[in-house]
Amino acid sequence: MKTVGLLLGQALRYVVYTLVHVFIISRLVLFDAGWCFFYLGFVLFLPLGTPVVVQLLLAFGMGLTMDIFYDTGGLHAAAAVLLAFVRPAVLRLLRPRDGYDAADAVNVHFMGPAWFLTFLGVLVLVHHLAFFLLELGSFRHFGFTLAKVGASWAFTCVALLIVQLLFFPVRRLRQ
Amino acid sequence: MKNLLLFLARFQGLLVFGVLEVISLYLFVTSSSYQRAAFFNSANAYAGVVLARRTEVLDYFHLGALNQQLLAENARLRQQLYPPDTSRRQADSLAVPPAPGDTLRRPRYVRPAQRPDTLLLAQQRLAARDPNYPLVPARVINNTLRSVDNYFTLNVGLADGVRPGLGVLAAAGVVGRIKTATDHYATATSLLHSKTSVSAKIKRDNTFGSVHWPGDDPTQALLDDIPRQNKLVVGDTVVTSGYNAIFPEGVFIGTVASFVKEPDKNFWTVHLRLGADFSNLTYVYVVTNRTRPARDTVEARALPPAGKEGRR
Repeated sequence: MKTVGLLLGQALRYVVYTLVHVFIISRLVLFDAGWCFFYLGFVLFLPLGTPVVVQLLLAFGMGLTMDIFYDTGGLHAAAAVLLAFVRPAVLRLLRPRDGYDAADAVNVHFMGPAWFLTFLGVLVLVHHLAFFLLELGSFRHFGFTLAKVGASWAFTCVALLIVQLLFFPVRRLRQ
Repeated sequence: MKNLLLFLARFQGLLVFGVLEVISLYLFVTSSSYQRAAFFNSANAYAGVVLARRTEVLDYFHLGALNQQLLAENARLRQQLYPPDTSRRQADSLAVPPAPGDTLRRPRYVRPAQRPDTLLLAQQRLAARDPNYPLVPARVINNTLRSVDNYFTLNVGLADGVRPGLGVLAAAGVVGRIKTATDHYATATSLLHSKTSVSAKIKRDNTFGSVHWPGDDPTQALLDDIPRQNKLVVGDTVVTSGYNAIFPEGVFIGTVASFVKEPDKNFWTVHLRLGADFSNLTYVYVVTNRTRPARDTVEARALPPAGKEGRR
């Protein structure tokens, strides 16, 4: 019963992130160079104990959904899969001294702002570098691409931080 | 065998990662080709429905701007209905030189139908509505602007006569080319795409070249293949050449914004200011072409099986 609830919850998260991204966020552009990769929240905020293979598959599915809407073939999928592959390594690097608690989650209130911002910043940066360099397919307009990475990075990080502050529980649930 | 399974279990993350990356990159790399009728694009039925719904919502907020755009276009169309200044000014008869054997050297008069006045012919406007290129009106329901390869989605498809490879115009100029189409939706490669190239000419002196987008500024494009010895003027009008069967001749593309001569090239580097504003692209027309199969056949017969150069 608990597993079914978990699966339904994740499916709901997938639908919400997709719809919000497609309907609202994808229309927003910052300084003509920054996009908000809001849908990354789906992959970033998965539970800590999610198996690597499941993370990779979910990221691939999410990326492919975005590719369908943006007509980019497999560009979003490639970058999102890379993100999901790097995520466990970053989690391992940021592990607290006594390991993760069973009740821990990717949540700015539980883990503290320093932990959360490092986690978010590093992963989003990796994703954006991969995404924009792949999209370009070469090193022309390198400066402009870096500007795109920078603006998008700031935009995505701020948006996901706002999502965390507004919609994530402040107290741990009783187990 | 057991070792193999252990190995697979140990590196399953890496393996799955590799497989998924290869699939994604394969889809990404092959998505640019015109031939591929893929499921994974915004012309598929489900994505089309979602995007159409999104456009319905956004339409409401754009009503003012849309009305302005339609008004401007209506005005232009109405203007085309007026006959040009010169159309009714033909003389009833024209004087021609005397007959060779006429010693009195009397001028002769002929009816213009037999021998049209060349001065008036030069001033005549080209046919604004070329019957060989019927237009299919369409609404843009999805559009990207600032990627390296941009696409937009239209709410017309195979059922409306839209086929892959057809050209797309807006009131203000050329905007792209259809890439894939399903029954009721179509995805088009924008002019703002690294692989789009439109055959063009300078209207003033008919020098032809090709327009492509370098990938940075959505209001500017490059015009290639203009030889160095040609004179250029800032503000020159650049139109389609009609050398391929995608666009009729004389559709506006943009105006020359600047040009520089680079030391190691035989051609001018010409920057164009594009006529179409891609940031608020709303109503466009898909150009169908009645004579295209015949034309392609004869060109394929005449030319050796060439590469990209012939397909422009």
